[in-house]
Amino acid sequence: MRHDYRTASVAPVVVLAWSMIGFAAANDRDGLFARVAQATETPTQYSAAGGPGARSEAAAIVFDHQDVQSILGRQVLSSAGEDMGRVIDIVVDRTGQVRAAVIDFGGFLGLGNRKVAIDWGALRFAPTGSKSDRITVELTRDQVRAATEYRDGRPLVVLGAADSLSSTQY
Amino acid sequence: MKPSPRSLRGLDWFVFFVADVLTGFGPFVAVYLTSQRWTQLDIGLVLTTGTLVALAGQVPAGALVDAAPSKRLAAGCAMVAIGASALALAAWPIFPVVQAAAVLQAAAACVLSPAIAAISLGLVGHAAMGERVGRNARFASLGVGLMAVAMGATGYFISNRAVFFVTAAFVIPALLALAVIREAEIDRDRAHGGINERIDGARPHRRASLGSLMRRRPLVTFAACAMLFQLANAAMLPLVASTVTTRSGQWATIVIAACIIVPQVMVAVVSPWVGRSGQRYGRRPLLLLGFAALPIRAILLAAVTDPYLLVAVQLLDGIAASVFGVMVPLIVADIARGTGRYNLSLGVVGMAGGIGASLSTTLAGYASDLFGTPVAFLGLAAIAAAGLALVWGLMPETRPGQP
Repeated sequence: MRHDYRTASVAPVVVLAWSMIGFAAANDRDGLFARVAQATETPTQYSAAGGPGARSEAAAIVFDHQDVQSILGRQVLSSAGEDMGRVIDIVVDRTGQVRAAVIDFGGFLGLGNRKVAIDWGALRFAPTGSKSDRITVELTRDQVRAATEYRDGRPLVVLGAADSLSSTQY
Repeated sequence: MKPSPRSLRGLDWFVFFVADVLTGFGPFVAVYLTSQRWTQLDIGLVLTTGTLVALAGQVPAGALVDAAPSKRLAAGCAMVAIGASALALAAWPIFPVVQAAAVLQAAAACVLSPAIAAISLGLVGHAAMGERVGRNARFASLGVGLMAVAMGATGYFISNRAVFFVTAAFVIPALLALAVIREAEIDRDRAHGGINERIDGARPHRRASLGSLMRRRPLVTFAACAMLFQLANAAMLPLVASTVTTRSGQWATIVIAACIIVPQVMVAVVSPWVGRSGQRYGRRPLLLLGFAALPIRAILLAAVTDPYLLVAVQLLDGIAASVFGVMVPLIVADIARGTGRYNLSLGVVGMAGGIGASLSTTLAGYASDLFGTPVAFLGLAAIAAAGLALVWGLMPETRPGQP
């Protein structure tokens, strides 16, 4: 397998994850893949043209609004209920697999906040159908505060709970 | 003619509420927009545009205030504009609206600070200006301190959006305070530095041009001092705040809040003294004191890790900020005396300071990334020391009656 190193300088994250495409999805017990797979079973599937062979037409899936949520700007809490900041970005690897959520952590009135990447698998979402749309992370403020800051074009350091990291390569 | 106590009290409270309103537009805008699901790219674009307008607007805004027949009216219009942008920001957080609000706010803020200085000078005259700007600085810092607490509480207990409604609400008492100031007591010519009381009190035939202002050495030197001051100063608090976040997990928010509010209290306490001393002992000794506090603070910040000590070191921020806040309108009033271009000169110094401030955060950010935060603080200390040397070597005493 050959890597494109020019791209690697732009997105080292992707290359880090490149080597583990194989088990990325398999290891994703309750990450995005599992959620989508589960969700697609129940909702109505339809195609605008009606026929299964109509390849030029777009297919659409309908989710109940309680079953899905948008993630940008959403507040994240620690399991103890501490405010951990808001989701400001999502990081994916080359397969499109979601690796981490970037969270704007800490600070007061916009001073002292730091962007920290948290392992996608360490995030817990409120169960399907529940009214609450809170996101919790199995980390405390003390564990997150010293994390390396997230920056574009730098190696990504993803913070996760001890057992939630999908790979030791991070 | 002595101004009435009523006008002076009106000015006190106007300065107080203006500080409240301007604090609402600080770094908190980014926090608010993040909670409104804005991407970091758009937030950065809006903030950068605001900064550029704030930089480029200073000199034209100064010229505008010089030319305005009523400084009070100029200040009032600027307040209404800022109130409108706060409301727009809260009501429609969509890109074109927020972008326009940021530009409008930055432009109006450019008008406000020279307008306040002009009203002060027009009311009290050069002889009492030191005391007056000391008082202004006290009320401004009380306003900033109170607003920081109010914003923290509003954001925490209600919502980030509510903060901007609170900001807009403070425009009403600001306008009321402005209305209390008697227009007739503001000497129009004196308000833009038109009268040279030192010589004969005669009114000049025409105003000095920007070119002839820029050839005044004290003004250029002082603008350079302002740039170095902000270059050293502006990045310190953000750098402190970000170190505190990494060091003290649970208490970080409280410590950062203390690092913001403690210097404001300090400014409120010492500013009147700074203003009076500026009249009594001259501007230079105080300017040296303020510039000396800066490198000491930077070096201490590089060394100190204990949160209590950190907050104590921030007292030095209060001293430097107080000196700078008092000396800028005071020294520029000295220099621009008789030119009829007081506010334009303030704009020149303000722009120099603004350039320093925006370079400061960028430079300190790079330095702290590459070499670590302590080195970044030492770099800022070196810049501050250069500023101190500049004041020592080149900045003349500007107090009237001095050689």
